[in-house]
Amino acid sequence: MSVSEPHAAVAALLKPGAHGATGGQPVRLAVRDVDIVQLLARKGRAEDAAAAIKAAYGFDLPSPGRSAGGDALAALWVQPDGWFLIAPRGAEGALARAVKAAVGDAGSVIDQTHGRSVITLSGARATWVLAKECRVDLHPAAFGPGRVASTQIAHLACTIHQRDAAPTYDLIVFTTFAKSFMESLTHAAEETGYVVS
Amino acid sequence: MIRIDCPWCGMRDEAEFTYRGDATVTRPGANAPEEAFHDFVYARQNPRGWHVEWWYHSSGCRQFLKVVRHTMTHEVRTVARATETPEVPSE
Ligand SMILES: [Zn+2]
Repeated sequence: MSVSEPHAAVAALLKPGAHGATGGQPVRLAVRDVDIVQLLARKGRAEDAAAAIKAAYGFDLPSPGRSAGGDALAALWVQPDGWFLIAPRGAEGALARAVKAAVGDAGSVIDQTHGRSVITLSGARATWVLAKECRVDLHPAAFGPGRVASTQIAHLACTIHQRDAAPTYDLIVFTTFAKSFMESLTHAAEETGYVVS
Repeated sequence: MIRIDCPWCGMRDEAEFTYRGDATVTRPGANAPEEAFHDFVYARQNPRGWHVEWWYHSSGCRQFLKVVRHTMTHEVRTVARATETPEVPSE
């Protein structure tokens, strides 16, 4: 796994190979090499910010509890008039500058790439592992692809984004707390076993 | 465990929230006497019954919510946005 400097320390917490229980259906753990930008619409300017993002990137900013876009650029609702924008890692600061250029004075843009990291948990038993860690109802009847929830995992703030039905979950956490978070997550995953590739 | 149906996030349990006290007190004007500020900061009714209180969704959407909770049974009757004025049951 090769990730750039903002996420390298988190990626180093995961040792390549198979860990924990064997013989079952292991989950997969990885650290995504991404840029993370927070967009906050200024007071009364949410519609302007949404129109600007639509014009620049071709999708509507998502409503509460949901995501929009795709792997090239995903938008996650995190609070009223506030979103995370996540894209594959590019040049330092480029995503934040591009989003700021798109929204102008309708929104404030904060580059979170050095502050937060994205840990991906996937596989048939990923929901089972994640359910041990969090209090959000992850049952397909209540959650699913394109859903987002901010909650606590291991007493740490975590935003969960289910990206597909595999299922694949992105877990967005503060980089400075990622070591504690990863200890808890890997402990939870020992019961199914987990693979780092 | 109290469960709070956040208008933004849906049903979550109290571990995600921070209790922020009585939501009915209002800040005195800038020129109000010192006693008014003392009451604003310290004086509370501590009622037995329905209570409108601030709960901050600190591990969720980071919004302040107005929760109508019964102080004896812990029943939560209404969860409203900060800008709303929830109805309080008479008993
Ligand atoms: Zn909430």
